[in-house]
Amino acid sequence: MEAASVPARTTRTASLDAARRLVSHYGLIAVLMILPVAYGIHDLRVDGDLSRLGENLKDGVSNGAIWALVAIGYTLVYGIIELINFAHGEVFMLGSFVSFSFWSALGLTLASKGAGLLFGLLLTLIVAMVACGGLNVMIERVAYRPLRNAPKLAPLITAVGFSFILQNVGLEWLGGSQRGVDDLIKAQNDLFTIGGVHITHADVLAVAVTVPLVALLAWFVTRTRLGKAMRATAQDPEAARLMGVNVDTTISLTFLIGGMMAGAAGLIYALYQTTIWFFQGFQAGLIAFTAAVMGGIGNIQGAVLGGLIIGCIQQISDNRIGGEWTPAIVFAYLVLIMVFKPQGLLGEETREAG
Amino acid sequence: MSSAAATWRGLGDRIRELPRPVVWAIGAAVLVLLILLPFAYQPASGFIDDCVTALAYVVMALGLNIVVGFAGLLDLGYVAFYAIGAYVIGWYGSGFFAAIAGGKGLHVWAESAGALPGIHFNFLIVLVVAAVYAALAGMIIGLPTLRLRGDYIAIVTLAFGEITRVFAINGADIHPFGKDYPLTLGRQGITPIDPIDLPFVKQFDPLNLRPWYWFALAMVLVVLFVNFRLRDSRLGRAWIALREDEVAAASMGVPLVKTKLKAYATGAAFGGMSGAFLASYLNTVNADQFEFSFSIFVLAMIILGGLGSIWGVVLGAVALSFINSRLIPDVLNGVPHKVGLNFDLTELSFGIFGFLLVIMMVLRPEGLLPERRRQIELTEGVGGDETLYEARA
Amino acid sequence: MTDRLAAERSARTGTPAASGDREATSTILQAVAVSKIFGGLVAVDGVDFEIPRRSIVSIIGPNGAGKTTFFNMLTGLYKPSAGRIGFDGRDITARRPDVITSLGMARTFQNIRLFATMTALENVMVGQHARMKAGLFASVLRLPRVRQEEREVREKARETLEYVGLRPSLLDQMAANLSYGDQRRVEIARALASDPKLLLLDEPTAGMNPQESARLTQFMETLRRERGLTILLIEHDMKVVMGVSDRVTVLDHGEKIAEGDPDEVRADKRVVEAYLGRQEGR
Ligand SMILES: Nc1ncnc2c1ncn2[C@@H]1O[C@H](COP(=O)(O)OP(=O)(O)OP(=O)(O)O)[C@@H](O)[C@H]1O
Ligand SMILES: [Mg+2]
Repeated sequence: MEAASVPARTTRTASLDAARRLVSHYGLIAVLMILPVAYGIHDLRVDGDLSRLGENLKDGVSNGAIWALVAIGYTLVYGIIELINFAHGEVFMLGSFVSFSFWSALGLTLASKGAGLLFGLLLTLIVAMVACGGLNVMIERVAYRPLRNAPKLAPLITAVGFSFILQNVGLEWLGGSQRGVDDLIKAQNDLFTIGGVHITHADVLAVAVTVPLVALLAWFVTRTRLGKAMRATAQDPEAARLMGVNVDTTISLTFLIGGMMAGAAGLIYALYQTTIWFFQGFQAGLIAFTAAVMGGIGNIQGAVLGGLIIGCIQQISDNRIGGEWTPAIVFAYLVLIMVFKPQGLLGEETREAG
Repeated sequence: MSSAAATWRGLGDRIRELPRPVVWAIGAAVLVLLILLPFAYQPASGFIDDCVTALAYVVMALGLNIVVGFAGLLDLGYVAFYAIGAYVIGWYGSGFFAAIAGGKGLHVWAESAGALPGIHFNFLIVLVVAAVYAALAGMIIGLPTLRLRGDYIAIVTLAFGEITRVFAINGADIHPFGKDYPLTLGRQGITPIDPIDLPFVKQFDPLNLRPWYWFALAMVLVVLFVNFRLRDSRLGRAWIALREDEVAAASMGVPLVKTKLKAYATGAAFGGMSGAFLASYLNTVNADQFEFSFSIFVLAMIILGGLGSIWGVVLGAVALSFINSRLIPDVLNGVPHKVGLNFDLTELSFGIFGFLLVIMMVLRPEGLLPERRRQIELTEGVGGDETLYEARA
Repeated sequence: MTDRLAAERSARTGTPAASGDREATSTILQAVAVSKIFGGLVAVDGVDFEIPRRSIVSIIGPNGAGKTTFFNMLTGLYKPSAGRIGFDGRDITARRPDVITSLGMARTFQNIRLFATMTALENVMVGQHARMKAGLFASVLRLPRVRQEEREVREKARETLEYVGLRPSLLDQMAANLSYGDQRRVEIARALASDPKLLLLDEPTAGMNPQESARLTQFMETLRRERGLTILLIEHDMKVVMGVSDRVTVLDHGEKIAEGDPDEVRADKRVVEAYLGRQEGR
C-alpha cells in the first residue's frame, strides 16, 4: 500500500493570504479609481486644472444621491426578505409623477418663489413619501406576502408583474412620451462656485434632501426599538420572531421606509431633471440595484456609497465616453465587483456552515 | 387553489399513470394534429404566425429551463443568447457584410442566394454556428457567476444581458474586422435576412408560413428530446443535485464548475438557435429586440409553467406568447368600452400582462404544471440554501 | 516526502518521528498542523491527526470544538488556513471536494443534506457521479454504453440502499418525505455509493434511539469487515464512541487535547474536565 504522505509543497503562509486580501480589497478601489484618475490626468494635461473632472464628480454625487435613496429601498427589502423588488424602480417613477401632479395641484409654477415655494415643496415631499411608502406596503401585501412560503422565484415574478402594472399606470397617467415639468427651482442656475466647479440649485437640493433623510434613517435603524427589530429580523427572522418581534409588521415597515425613500428620490429627480416619464423607473431601478449590490446588499451605508460611486461613474462616462456606453460601463463595473468582492464594498462575508 | 388548476394537476398525474403504449399513441395523435394544423388556416394566417412565434419561444423557454429550472441558476440575461443567435444569421445570412470577397459575396451551400453580396450560409450551418457561439457566450457569462449565490447570479447575468444590448445598439460604430465590417447595424437593424434555405426543399417563402411552422415545430421536438434525455441522465441528476444543495453535490463528487458551465452552455445554445430562427422569420435583426424585458418574458414562461417541468414550460411558453400576441389586443380590446371605461387596451397590454403574472403566481406559485419534485417544496422547507463553501472556480 | 512531514511533526511536538515507512503505509489519512481561522475565531488550531487503514477512529469534543470544521477541511469544503492534509498517498490540501470524493473519501453531514426533491434512489445515483463517464452528447444520444452504465448505476444504487436497510418500497420516495432514520440511511448509502476508502460520518446517531444507535454501531463494524472501509466518526454518544472506536481524538476549542484508545481517553484528566465531566454530569 502506498503511503499517506504529503508531498512537499510550500505552505501558503498567512502573510501571503493577507497580501491577497489586500490586493482584493485595494485592487477594487484601484479599479474604481481608474476612470477619475485617468480623466484627472487628462484634464491636467489638456486644461491645466481639474475643474472639468470636478464638475463631473459633483454631478455624480448629486445624481448619485438620488440613486442612493432608491438603492436604500432595494437594500432594506433584500436584507429582510431576500427578494429583488423589481417593482421598486416603478415606485420611484410614481414618486416623480405624484410630486409633479401634487405641486401642480398646489399651484406651484415657475413664478412661485420664496417661502411659498419652499413650503409647497416640503408638502410635496411629504406627500410623495407617504404615497410611495403606502404603495410599497400595498405591493408587499398583495404580491409578496401571499408567497412567503412559495418557491423562491415566485415572488420575483409577481415583482416583475407589478412593475409592468405600475409602468402602465404611469403610461396612462402622463402618456407615453417624456414629459417636461416646470423648472420650479431653476435647477441649473448656479448657487455658488468653488474651485471652478459650479454648484447648482439642483445639486444643493439633492444633497439637502438626501443627507437629512439618510441621517434620520440611520438614527431610526440603530436607535429605535422598531429599527432594532428590523435589523434583528434581517439577520434571523426566526430568532426575531422568538424574541417577540412581529415579523409581518417589521416587513411592512421595511417596505414603508423603502418606498418613502423612493418617493423622496422621485421628487428630487423631477426637480433635478425637469423631465419625467413612465419608463424612468426601469433604468433607475437597474442602476440603483447595482448600487445596492456594489455597496453590499443589506447595508444602508453601502447603498449610499454605491449610489454615489455609480453616480460618478455615470457622469464621467456620459461626459467623456458617451452616454450610449454608460449602461455597459456601469454594468461592467458591477461584474468586476461581483467577481472580486461578491459581498460588495461594505458587505460582510457570508457565514459558511457545515 | 382554483379548481381549474387542480384539474391541470390531475390531468398531468393521470397521463403519467396511463400505460406506456397509450401515452405513445396519444402523443402520436397530438403530433399528427399539430403537423396538420396549418392546413386548417390560410398560408399567411395570423394564427399560424402566432404559432410560429410561440414555438420559437418554446425553444427559448426550454433552453432557459435547463439553466434555471434544472440547475437552479437564476439567469436574467437570457436575451443575450437571442441576440447572439440573431446576429449570427445577421452576419452569416444576409447582405450585411456586402464588402466581403470584393462584393461578390461568400456562399456556402446556399444556392438560392444566387450571387448576392454578403455572407450566405445554409441555414443548418447558421443554426450550428448560432448554437456554438451562444454556448461559448453562455460559458463566458457563466464564468464570473460560478462562485456566486443565487441572486447575485441573477444580477451578473442581467448585467451581461444589458452589456450585450448596449453593444448591439452601438455596434454600428465598432469595427473589429476593418472599417467595412461593423459589428451590428444598431437600431436601424440588419434587413433583409435570408429566409430559411434547407437542402432538398425550396427556400422558405415569407408569405407562406406553413414551412416556417413545421420547421419551428421540428426544432421544438428536437429540443424536447434533448431536454428529456438530459434530465434523465447523469448530467441531469447532477444539475438537480446542484440546485438542491451545492455543498452536498460537490461532496458527492459533482464538479461544480464543469456542471454549471454545461448548463449555461446547453441552455444558451437553444437560445441562440431560436434567435437565429426568429431573426430569419422576422426578417430583421434590430438592437431594440434585445431588451431586458425579453429575458423576463422568457423567465415568466418557465416560472408560470412550472420551473423544471418540461411540459409545464411548454405550456407556460405557449400560454404567455399567445396572451402576449392574441388575447390582449384582439379578445380583450373593446372590453373597456363595454364596461364604460375609455382607454385603449393595446396601450395597457403590459399592465394586463403584469396583472396576469401576479394573479397566476399568487394562485399557483408552483406553476401550472409543476415538476413533480417541486410540489413538495411548498410544504417542506428542505434543502440547504446557504452557500457555504469556499469554492475555487 | 513522508519523512519531511514526520520531521516537521516531531519538530513541533518534540516527539521522535514515527518509525518511518511501516506506520506510514498503514495510514490512509494524515493531517499535519491543520488550522482554520474564521475572522478572529480559531476554530481548529494546529491539529495533527492520522487514521490507520481499516480502523474506526472517532473525534469527540464539546459543542463548537471544531469537529465539523475539521471534517470540512478534510473533505475540501473549507480551505485550511494552515497545515497540510494527505490522503491515500496524495496531498489533498485545499483540493476541490469533488476531486477528493473521486479519490475515495465520502461523507455524511451533521444536519442531513439529502437532495430533498430527488428520490432515495436518485440520491444514491448522484453519489456515483464520480464513478460514471457519460458525457453530455453521449447522454443525449443515449449510446449503448451510456444505457449500460445507467442500468448498472441504478442497480448498484438499489443494492446499496438495501444494504443500509432501506425498505424497498421507499426507493422511489422523495427524500424529503422519508423518516429521519431513513434519511440517515439514504445519506450513508449515498456516501457508500461513491466506493470510498474512507467514510466520514458526522454525528450519524444524532436523533436516533439507543436501539438504532446500536444497530448503526454494528453496521460500521460490518462495513469495515465486508468492504474494508476506514471510518472516521464524529459522535457525541459516548456509548457508540467507546464501543466502536479503535482510537479516539478529543478536540476542545479547536485544539487536540487528547488522543488514544477509548480507555486512555476516558481516563485522561483534561478530557474529563473539558468534556466527559460535563457530559456525564448531566
Ligand atoms: N463558516 C463559519 N464561519 C464562522 N465561524 C464558523 C464557521 N463554521 C464554524 N464556525 C465556528 O467554529 C467553531 C467550531 O464549529 P464546528 O461546527 O466545527 O463545531 P463542532 O465541533 O462541529 O460542534 P457541534 O458538536 O455543535 O457540531 C464554532 O465556534 C463555530 O461557530
Ligand atoms: Mg459539528
